[in-house]
Order: sequence, then C-alpha cells, then structure tokens
Amino acid sequence: MTKIDIFSGFLGAGKTTLIKKLIQEGYQNQKLVLIENEFGEIGIDGGFLQEAGINITEMNSGCICCSLVGDFGKALQEVIEKFAPDRVIIEPSGVGKLSDVVAAVQKVTGHDVELGYTVAVVDAGKVKVYSKNFGEFYNNQIETASTIIMSRTDSAPQAKLDAAIEILRAHNAEATIVTTPWNDLTGVQLIAAMEGVNTKAAELMDEEAHHCCCGHHHHHEDEHEEHHCCGHHHHHEDEHEEHHCCGHHHDHEHEHHHEHHHHEHDEHCICGCHDHDHEHHHHHADEVFTSWGVETAKKFTKEQIDEALHALDSGEYGIVLRAKGIVPATDGTWIHFDMVPEEFSIRSGAADITGKLCVIGSKLDEAGVAALFGV
Amino acid sequence: MQQIPVYAFTGFLDSGKTRFIQETLEDERFNAGERTLLLVFEEGEEEFDFTTYPHSNVFLHVLDQQSVTTKQLQALAKQHKAQRVVAELNGMQLVGDLYSRFPEDWVVAQEVMFADATTFMAYNANMRNLMMDKLVGAQMVVFNRLEKGADTMPFHKVARAANRRIDILYDYTDGTTQFDDVEDPLPFDINAPVIDLKDEDYALWYRDVTEEPQKYHGKTIRFKGQVAMLRRDKNGIFAPGRFVMTCCIDDIQFCGVPCKYADAAKLEPRSWVTVTAKIAAEKHMLYQGELGPVLTAISVEPAVPPVEDVATF
Repeated sequence: MTKIDIFSGFLGAGKTTLIKKLIQEGYQNQKLVLIENEFGEIGIDGGFLQEAGINITEMNSGCICCSLVGDFGKALQEVIEKFAPDRVIIEPSGVGKLSDVVAAVQKVTGHDVELGYTVAVVDAGKVKVYSKNFGEFYNNQIETASTIIMSRTDSAPQAKLDAAIEILRAHNAEATIVTTPWNDLTGVQLIAAMEGVNTKAAELMDEEAHHCCCGHHHHHEDEHEEHHCCGHHHHHEDEHEEHHCCGHHHDHEHEHHHEHHHHEHDEHCICGCHDHDHEHHHHHADEVFTSWGVETAKKFTKEQIDEALHALDSGEYGIVLRAKGIVPATDGTWIHFDMVPEEFSIRSGAADITGKLCVIGSKLDEAGVAALFGV
Repeated sequence: MQQIPVYAFTGFLDSGKTRFIQETLEDERFNAGERTLLLVFEEGEEEFDFTTYPHSNVFLHVLDQQSVTTKQLQALAKQHKAQRVVAELNGMQLVGDLYSRFPEDWVVAQEVMFADATTFMAYNANMRNLMMDKLVGAQMVVFNRLEKGADTMPFHKVARAANRRIDILYDYTDGTTQFDDVEDPLPFDINAPVIDLKDEDYALWYRDVTEEPQKYHGKTIRFKGQVAMLRRDKNGIFAPGRFVMTCCIDDIQFCGVPCKYADAAKLEPRSWVTVTAKIAAEKHMLYQGELGPVLTAISVEPAVPPVEDVATF
C-alpha cells in the first residue's frame, strides 16, 4: 500500500523544512519517495536523502502558468511502480491549488494507492495579507487541507497569531491546526496531528472519562440528525453495531415507542454531549453535563491557570467536575493542568501541537469560562 | 479630452510599494497639491498615513483588481476631480489586464516595479510569468533589502533579460542606493557589414529589432530560421522565424519577420533555411500599421536544424 501525502503552502512557508523534519523524525522505517514541484529556497540536499534511503523526483515546471496535468499523474504512477514506496511525499508548487493536486492524485489512487495527509503549511505572520491579496489559490490550500501547520508562530506577536488562527478557522472549521513552534514538537507528534489523532480539546478527557459517551458522533439514519460529541461516527443502519458509550444500548424503534430517541443514560454517566439534551429526554437535570473545550495558541502563566482554576472551583461558573488542559506558557514551556473539585495540579510538561482547554460540568457558564481563560 | 497621468507601482506583496508611495506623497516636490486619486489593489502590512502629506488632496480607494470596471474607475476620477492617479497594483495579477480596463483618458506615465531581493529569486523561479509581466512593462525596477556588497549580477540578468531598457536601482539595507550602470552589449555586432546571428541569439535579436526597427534600417542580417507562410500576402513573401519561449512551454510562440523573396512559394513550410537579407523599417499589416522590420532576401538556402529547436532569451 502506498500513501500519498501532499504538503502545500506558499513559497517560503517552510514546506521543505517541515518535510525534512518529518523525514528525520516522523516517517520512521518507511520507504519514501519525494516529489518536488517547486524550485525551493532551500533544497533538500541529496546527501541527506541518500543517507535516509529516499528517492527524489523533481518535477520542476513549477511556474504558475504551467498547470499540473497529464504528466504529473503519469510521473506519479511511474514512481509508484518503480519504487513501490510506503509513502510518496509531494511538495507541489506553492502557487497552485491544493484541490488540483488532490484531484490529480486521486486519479492515481486505487487498490494499492491512497491519499494520505493533505497539509497546508502557512507562515503565521503572513496569513492575513496573503489570504486577503492572493485570494483563490491561497485560500484553497487552507480550505482543502486536513491539517494546517503554522510556521514561525514563535516570531509572530500573539495578537497576530490569534488573528491568523481566526482566519484559518473561518476558511476551514474542520482541520487540525498546529500552532506550536516546530522545534518544540517531535516529528512523531506532527505525524500524529496529521493522522488526526488526539486533536480535539474534548478528547483530553477521554483518558479519564472513557466510560462515557463524550467521544462519539451519533448518526441516526432515521432522523439524519447528527450529535456532535467528539470522535466517532455511528451509523445506526446496522442493528448489530455496538455502541459502547455509557454502556447503554441505542435500540431505536424496537423497544422504545417515542417519536424521538430516548437514550437511557446510565445513572452516573458523564455525558459531554450537550447536543443531546434537546433530543433526549433527560429526567433529571443533574444528569445534564456539558463539556466546553477549545484549542488555542494563547500563552498562560501558572499563576493565571491557578487563578482560573480557583475561579472555576468557586461555583461561579456552574458545577465544574473536571477541568484539564495543556497550554503553552509565556516562558516557552508548556503547562499541564488537571482539576477536580477542591483539588488541582498544575505542572510543566511536554509541548502539544496546539493549546487545549477542557472543562466538564453542569450548568456551565460557557461564555464565562471562555472569558475566564481569555479565549 | 484632458489626459490623466497614471503612476503605477507594481511588484509583489511586501516589496516596499506602499512605503515608497507614502514617502513620495510626503515629498513636496511630488505632492504640490495635485488632486491625486490613490488606488490600492493590494493591502499589505504597511498602511498609508495621510497626516504627514503636505497637501490633503489625496483620495484613497481600495479596489479589487480582478473585478474593477472601467465605469468604476471613471466614476472615482470624476468624483474626486482627479488630476492624476497613483496606483498600487496587485503582484499576483497581470498588469495589462488592469490597464485594459483603464478609462480612455488615463495614460500610464510611469510604471515602477519593486522587488524584495531576499525573495525575488525564489519567486522568479516559481512564478516567472508574473515576474516577467512586471519587469517587461516597467521603466524602472528597485531591488531592495540588499545587503551591502551583495552580488547584484543575478538581479541584473533577470531584469535585463526581460527588459533591455529597464533602469535598475539597488536599495541597500544600510540606507544607500545605487544605480545599475552595467551595460548589456548585444551579443552580435550590429555595425558589421553582415550581422551574423548565432542560433542562440535569435530571440534577443527578434525582440530588439521589433522594439527598435529603425536602428536596423539598411543593415544586412544572416540568420537561421523556419519557413512560415503569411496568411495573406502569399506572393513573393514569407516569414522566416523561430519558435520562441519566454517563460515556459505554455508561452511558446512563433516569432517571424516578413521577408520579400521571389521564390517564396517554392519553399517548404517549416523547413529550416539560412536567410541573408536586408532589413528595412516599414509599415506592415503584421505590425498593425506601425513600423516594424521587413526583410528583403538576398539569399535563402536550406539549412540543418539548430541544436535547440526552440529559441530562448
């Protein structure tokens, strides 16, 4: 099986640097082929690639007037047949649309070849002006990518970084956005981000609250209704499909005679899915738990976190059962924190791809919590 | 009709256009109170500060270069009773596309290109058509953010390959500037009894002779080219020339010069010939009524094809 990964991004965004880091630290023990379709500012030197056992194919017709057609698919096919690689890494022209490259790749995909990561590398300091002035191709890269990796986030002022993230989010609500300086991350972490592993803030809670259903998408065939909790899609077409969330069974139509679904939640389930309450008949108000989660590049001090956790514990923001987060600190380190009523731990820990905050509780004042953390 | 001069500033984002316009409008010598319509087709990091202008007759409008219409431009000029236009163009768009939408009474008085020397080479390698587009039309290009002592020849070569007559200014990080005074002699001797053109110089000669046909009037040239027939004008005339590539495969076009030759009809189209001919600057329908080079053959001999099929600069 060959997977084809595409790293788009405008000239100077840092595509080559990123690819080099991934080759060194992330794509371990995989047979790689690199296809370059751009005259880079920094070339990946041949010696390094040879050492890593990587084949490099340059398709330097990288000017915007030469469209990516015909030859590209053919060359890709040839490379796959010749080297049978695990991965083909494509660095397309920075002034092309990512969707065009994806379309070209999809013509080649089939039984043994599939599309891997679609990444847009964006310079944190340039997002605003590029998005405004370049228009289509630039925004297309952002919109098409499943992972957006920001570069030079450490040299952009916080306000600019926040504004950049906002623009990226406006163009792509789904993608994982990596906001952490690359030097603080390992290639393995970056690959995990591209794999879509552990990206949503609410998943932070998975480790602790794995009995609970705050981690699933329920797709009810009969109502075409989606419930956004966090991670999986359940299609209820299949009667025998198992739903192990909260340990309760979702048996529709057969045992329940309700117009709407009744999910019988286990007594003590911490269900983080607030989307449920308008559909499901919860009988006890105190069963309604909500989870609030955000991803953020905002930097904190341990004092600020301590203050915020005290405030959460005061009851002012609702009944907080848990709060957890991994956020960058103003001094360049990372803060990990955990909170249960009357008990919290704040410590230094490893960097993550972006900051994450998660609060679970009842009757949460979500706007208040957001303001409390300033996100 | 009173003409409105347009001062156009081109170049890529972050190349220093806004700062230059800002400084120019702060300068009493350039801003003596003329009613100036300032059109901005690209919004970068720098912003205009009107408070420092000696006169307040500057009217700023931010427009979309791709969609702006002649009517809109006309209306703005009228609204502000503009005496001149200063335009900051979008680097990712083609200059000519915008010019073609300028109202009739707008005349481009000057086009200056700005380029950040730290990114220019990479941009040129990957977006050559956009760079060429700006270089070809500009009277001057400013390469800025250069380190003192940096090698300027690579910039010179790219700029002059695109535009032989462009003035080049180097703007150094230490605040000094320097004009490029490197001359680019043509690789052939135009004063020789017969200008003997090497195969690799065809594109250069073609551009020069079409830009300045009078310079070549009365001279004799010998060059290798392919036979092409003109659509009309079949009798006693053909157009020897070469396929020329400016930027990439997509822009290859046949560049031929009309040549009077009694036996033209006997020539095999697309065959290679060595043409020796006298050059005259004449009007010809190929030049839409303007003066252009027209050859009169002295001899036309079959030739072996050159090593490179397509001519380049």
